[in-house]
Amino acid sequence: MGRTSTSALLPSLLLICFAGGAHAFDLGQELKKAMEQGTQQQAEPGRPSSSAGGGIDLGGVRGLFGFSEEEEIAIGRQAAGNLLGAAPLVKDATLQKYVNNVGRWVANQSERPDLRWHFGVIDSNDINAFAAPGGYIFVTKGLYRLLRTESELAGVLAHEIGHVVERHHLKILQQSQWLDLSGKLLSGAAGENQVIKNLIGNGAEIFARSLDKNAEYEADRMAMVLAARAGYDAFGLPAVLQDIGHAAADDSSVRLLFKTHPHPDDRLAHLGDVVGDRFDGLKGQTLEKRLYRIKP
Amino acid sequence: MRTLRKVPALLGALLLAIGTALAAQEGIALKADALKAEPFRDAKTVGSLATGDRVEILKKQGGWFQVKSARGSGWVRMLSVRRGEARKGDGDATGLLGLASGRAGTGRVVATTGIRGLSEEQLKEAKYNESEVQKAESYTTTRAEARQFAASGKLVSRKVDYLPTPESAK
Repeated sequence: MGRTSTSALLPSLLLICFAGGAHAFDLGQELKKAMEQGTQQQAEPGRPSSSAGGGIDLGGVRGLFGFSEEEEIAIGRQAAGNLLGAAPLVKDATLQKYVNNVGRWVANQSERPDLRWHFGVIDSNDINAFAAPGGYIFVTKGLYRLLRTESELAGVLAHEIGHVVERHHLKILQQSQWLDLSGKLLSGAAGENQVIKNLIGNGAEIFARSLDKNAEYEADRMAMVLAARAGYDAFGLPAVLQDIGHAAADDSSVRLLFKTHPHPDDRLAHLGDVVGDRFDGLKGQTLEKRLYRIKP
Repeated sequence: MRTLRKVPALLGALLLAIGTALAAQEGIALKADALKAEPFRDAKTVGSLATGDRVEILKKQGGWFQVKSARGSGWVRMLSVRRGEARKGDGDATGLLGLASGRAGTGRVVATTGIRGLSEEQLKEAKYNESEVQKAESYTTTRAEARQFAASGKLVSRKVDYLPTPESAK
């Protein structure tokens, strides 16, 4: 925890700028306020993120970095719209409502149950799933087709919910773009929409970037727990990882997934190290029969 | 009408059952672990697997696989085994060696362009689609609706603590 002071301060400049982008603001005043908030935030106990690893203390994101939930949702909405530009929703209203039901029930078990969560299946044969800030989560048709049970769907969605709860994508935005953005903001040249566009980059590129691998492992750990909290068999996500693990890395349907995530075998091994006997005796439902099957 | 509609579902279920059985045939131990007589922690230990051992997966139950191996048969924790052959793309020997160190294939993935699906290039070139976002938002389920959905599947929420990090689990 001792490393937060320097590493967290630089990105915080960006976010303070961002937060103040639509209004006139006093940098010195905002910085002081944010630092005070940050100090309080870091004393907050019991967050799973406090040990997340990576360059920046995630527990400080809300306070020190000062993104409001509204701003986070605006960023996520833009990113979601860009992704849907590359692959639209599968035209099946029953399917879309079903994934929202499963996803929202799992999200209810998280630390952000009041976010307006959105889930969708997008029309791509790739095997992948995406989370954008603010609760926009998408699974490809290719991945959905691999699923055998509702608990597997719950596990996949829970991994993405974990990223949103821990604000992992905001973190990489801060790392990659803060300098460029703060410059533009200070010059007063950009409105808030432009700021969001600059922050996200071209198209849906944000989804082609890798998160810190510790963020992926953390989302996996959270996924098993969130699924278990929701009453599902906790082993839904590992079962899906088992399936995609034996696809070759040069198979085009998993290329992006393999490029942006640790190999499924490494993810399974990581889970094996921490799960041990923790889920023994915690029986959950798989709901194999309730899984909605996509029309061929 | 009713029977007709059931046919694809039945066929689907049948195909699925076959698919599961085939996919579940082979596996490799990701790490050393005990073989148990039953899928419980307290069950009698009947053998052990070493990293890289080939197994035949017979059944899955919760977090356990029932397996058959040269070292004997029994139940092993699912997270200690992975389905399928050695990683494709690795030579067989290097695949197994790599598995032993847990590093096979990692960092060797090279992105290329011109591939179908959601490639990096396609993502970069994607143009914002407002009407699809609105459509996605129209399917949103409220917190209360989700509770109803859960109840209809007899899903009961329960308190489960987050898992420790590997460092603190040791």
